[in-house]
Amino acid sequence: MSEKKVTPESENTDKNTGEELEERALSVFSSERNEDMTALVLSLLTTLIVLIFTKWM
Amino acid sequence: MTQAQSNKPLFIISGFMVIYALIASSGVLHPLMKYLHTAKAVDLQVSMGLICGGIGILGGIVNIVRKPGNTSFDRFVLQPLPGILLILLMAMAIRWYVEPLVKLFSHNLQPVLGFKIYKVLNLNYVILGLLAGVLITNTYGIPKFAAAGVKCARFVLKMGVIMLGARYSFAELAKLGTYSIFLVGTFVLGTVFLVLWLGNLFKQPKTMTGVLAAGMGVCGVSATVAVAPVVKAKSEEMAYTIGTILSFGIICMFVFPTVGHWAGMNPVQFGAWAGTGILNSAQVAASALAFNAVDIKTLKVAEIFNITRVLFLPIIVLVLAAWFGKETGKKLTFKEVVIDKFPIFIIGFLLLFAMSSMGLFSPPTHYKGKFIDYSYNERTQVTDKEWDVLNGAVQANAIKGLNEEQMAAVKDLVAQRQLAGNYESRGDKDLFQKQGEARMFQLETILAAAKGGTLHLEKNVKAAIHHAIKQVHKKSKTVTTLTDCMIWFFAFGLIGLGMQITKKAIFQAGGWPLAIGIISGVTKATLSFFVVLWLVKDVVLK
Repeated sequence: MSEKKVTPESENTDKNTGEELEERALSVFSSERNEDMTALVLSLLTTLIVLIFTKWM
Repeated sequence: MTQAQSNKPLFIISGFMVIYALIASSGVLHPLMKYLHTAKAVDLQVSMGLICGGIGILGGIVNIVRKPGNTSFDRFVLQPLPGILLILLMAMAIRWYVEPLVKLFSHNLQPVLGFKIYKVLNLNYVILGLLAGVLITNTYGIPKFAAAGVKCARFVLKMGVIMLGARYSFAELAKLGTYSIFLVGTFVLGTVFLVLWLGNLFKQPKTMTGVLAAGMGVCGVSATVAVAPVVKAKSEEMAYTIGTILSFGIICMFVFPTVGHWAGMNPVQFGAWAGTGILNSAQVAASALAFNAVDIKTLKVAEIFNITRVLFLPIIVLVLAAWFGKETGKKLTFKEVVIDKFPIFIIGFLLLFAMSSMGLFSPPTHYKGKFIDYSYNERTQVTDKEWDVLNGAVQANAIKGLNEEQMAAVKDLVAQRQLAGNYESRGDKDLFQKQGEARMFQLETILAAAKGGTLHLEKNVKAAIHHAIKQVHKKSKTVTTLTDCMIWFFAFGLIGLGMQITKKAIFQAGGWPLAIGIISGVTKATLSFFVVLWLVKDVVLK
């Protein structure tokens, strides 16, 4: 399926400048706050959709 | 790489999902699904396959017609999409094929081994997902197209923790009373501080110690995920913590029931001990059932003690945020700990817990979406055939050996065709509920006596009473669906988390975290054993 494989180590070789960078290298979000906010909003949205379909419809 | 080449994996995975959905909807796979006990999930399999596959194909087409850029849409949707779909495909395979197959194999091996291996090793989707991720990374490697998708794992795990809040309600917590909450809280905090002290003694990294403290103090996956960002734990440290907790739980599952019987604990005492000393909820339930499969009180007490621990999660997050700040040389103010360092997603957990406690998803008294409803409803009644059986037995005075209250409960069941309070008290909800509870208690004692052999009941009478009790036990569709979402988020997140763990990282962690986990776990189990024996009497639930 793919010609090149990556492991977290090979991917992180140039990202060892700081713990924060290493942490962020494992996430698509640039900050913890953004990640948490997105998770919160998406979870609330999921809850709303579930409520609409299972309780209010 | 050309656009068409980079899109190839996305089209292949999406196409596979759509084709699978079409095959599943045609009914060809029905015998296999029936064999694996997944036939009930066929609608979900079809809709997930079509929706996810459809989104994948759409994403691939957008990739072709649109020049790739660095917009938010590219970073958060188009680039991770192939990886997200790959992990989802793995999660589907694990939930619908691998997990049921493991269950079937271990069921078939039971006569040879004497136990169910999937129960003993806790081989559910949590472990299987984590293992699958680790296996791929350390053998084939993460395909390049999936790298961005794997980075969504922690984020999705956080969504799982938020969803966890919907399963519990304040009413369940209130049932325990301050005395038991104090008991649980003392052990949770005591274990956290013990692990922190041991970590310091064995000179372990602060990140590992912090996450292990939360895991050992509160519970497995959710506490680990919740505390990881606060103490900046790495993926392998999270995985190691989950592994340590589950391994310790396996030992507990065998040791607890044996010690409980040996010490002559009553069902309530054992429930309190298992709920305090064992960390994983599935293992708590297995241990309670192994101790006493007849008296449901053991399981109920164990589960309530166990969930109370989960609700200490926000406090533990605060404690560890303050500890980590201090350990890394930053003296944090109260405001910094509570407002700046407190993870926003834990607020989501509290928000869903509050919604659940207010009765938005299910009546506020629910527990994991299950609740008892005595109100008059055709769907709560026993069947006509069952009514005939019960009525016939009462008229012929064929049910012997019942005391007055038990007989009155059976007669009322015949009169009202369902378990309920007095018809005249239907306006007073509390009274109606209490009368219903009293009658259910009497019916349950009849069944327990029949099971224990002290009372002889005809098979169809027993079945009718059993069905009457079952009919008032309702399940909230909303909480069930939200729990399903949580399971999928955890399955996805744990596969992704496993994909971030290399062999080198596991060996680097060494055996110390496991040793710390076992020392703290054994200490907690031993201390809680004596405290429960000393303080917990028959009644802990209000």
